Amino acid sequence: MITVDRLTAGYGKLEILQDLSLSFAAEQFSAVLGPNGSGKSTLMKAIMGVNRIFAGSIHLEEQQLVGMPTEAISRLGLAYVPQRENIFSELTVLDNLQLGSRSLPREERPAALDELLELFPILGRRRAQRAGLLSGGEHQMLAIAIGWLSRPTLMLLDEPSAGLAPAIAIEVFRVLQELSQAGITLIVVEQNARRVLQYCDYAYVLREGQLAFQGTAAECLADEETIKGYLGVH
Amino acid sequence: MPPALLTTSLVNTVQIGSLYALMALGITLTFSVMKLPNFAHAEYVTVGAFAALIVSMAGEVNPLVIMLAAFVVGALAALASHVAVFKPLEGREVSFYTLILSSFAVGLILRYILFMIADYFNLFDTRIRIPLQIMLREGYLILTNIFFWVVPSSILLVIALTLLLNRTPLGREMRALANNPGLARVIGIPVERVKNYSWLLVGGLAGVAGALWGLQTAVSPLMGWVAIISVFAAAILGGLSSFAGTILGAYVVAFSENTVMLFLNYNFGLDLAYKPAIPFVIIIAVLLIRPQGFTELIKRAGDLQR
Repeated sequence: MITVDRLTAGYGKLEILQDLSLSFAAEQFSAVLGPNGSGKSTLMKAIMGVNRIFAGSIHLEEQQLVGMPTEAISRLGLAYVPQRENIFSELTVLDNLQLGSRSLPREERPAALDELLELFPILGRRRAQRAGLLSGGEHQMLAIAIGWLSRPTLMLLDEPSAGLAPAIAIEVFRVLQELSQAGITLIVVEQNARRVLQYCDYAYVLREGQLAFQGTAAECLADEETIKGYLGVH
Repeated sequence: MPPALLTTSLVNTVQIGSLYALMALGITLTFSVMKLPNFAHAEYVTVGAFAALIVSMAGEVNPLVIMLAAFVVGALAALASHVAVFKPLEGREVSFYTLILSSFAVGLILRYILFMIADYFNLFDTRIRIPLQIMLREGYLILTNIFFWVVPSSILLVIALTLLLNRTPLGREMRALANNPGLARVIGIPVERVKNYSWLLVGGLAGVAGALWGLQTAVSPLMGWVAIISVFAAAILGGLSSFAGTILGAYVVAFSENTVMLFLNYNFGLDLAYKPAIPFVIIIAVLLIRPQGFTELIKRAGDLQR
């Protein structure tokens, strides 16, 4: 679905991803793992066109994404949930949700909102509240909800469980699993390798901007060298 | 202070405060949506006043038509300064300070173009020709037709702007852009289009404020520039982010310049020439003591209501 070819990307003059090639399959739940600074988030930002691309290409099916403005990439059915500042904290929860559904045709929006409130009942109860007042878990649910409301075919999530209590992080992953079962392709960047490997289908391990390992979740867990050397899971 | 003086100063407070609010809301909106403290805002006011003056000299006496002309010309001036200067500079990722300086430059250019026009057509200190009538005389209270144009128009426009921001999809997108521009782009909000609309809105409101200002005093190429420090003081009182705070700030500044100034003059002999210093005192005091202005107070009150 997404093919990254010989990509070099980063910020300003800094090249973080070096000549990286990999591809993400459609309707799969893929995890991108690796130590801090390995370029996991950089890869997501490069796909969304929010950072600097020095060389290489990124294709969504046949469509070249490099050089397209972020708004246009999002209109192709990609939803990106950044790690930080991923909600409109000064606006109400309902405003956030309405912004999430803004790209849908007008007549489809109410149904999408209803469906969403079924998936995240807590957001319905908090709809009139300022989004900045939500708890950590609710905040993350809202961030995922904003992305989901555009009815994307592909969602990119940057560390969706960062800073959450373990029980709440597991809830977030359950929601992601539901989205995946509903046919949405997921690419999730994650620090906690052991946890995400219980949910995802396929894993990529980055190290210093290059691909160090790729395989199914089971293969990844079985590969002791990768697990110990790069992921620090015991 | 004698009641006649007090009444007059309070009438001025309401009239001038309403105009300050109209102008200061534009500053707050530009600052939050476009991330620019725009000093050229003063000149959108003046441009609007000149548009109003020229339309009225052409024989138009309906203040609504005059205000509409001022809105259109002010809006175009604001959009033009965005397209010609601010947008290309943002594209080059210049610093915040460069942007502020460029806004001074845009203001200067517009101001001196207006000087040239005023000189050529001999328009210095001309009044917009609407005959002055006394509409209400009640003891010391004297209200003219100008008061009844300026105050309700400003208040209605402020209400319209608030409704637009809080009740329409465009307003929601503007607030989203103000709050989190990165996420706004990521979720596919057409950021450039929303900015263009914001500029038109901001310039249009400034233009109308100019027309109304021209109704109550005279039109001159310096009028916006003279008002801008008071208007910035109002916006800073609003923390450059809160609308309610900005409106409150506008009336506080107008009250200080009119009622408080007269009080100090009458009771302590403070010369009226100190009036232009008042907004500076307010700005410095706010920045030293309460840089967030009224913002936090208003936000907390809002959260309690929910």
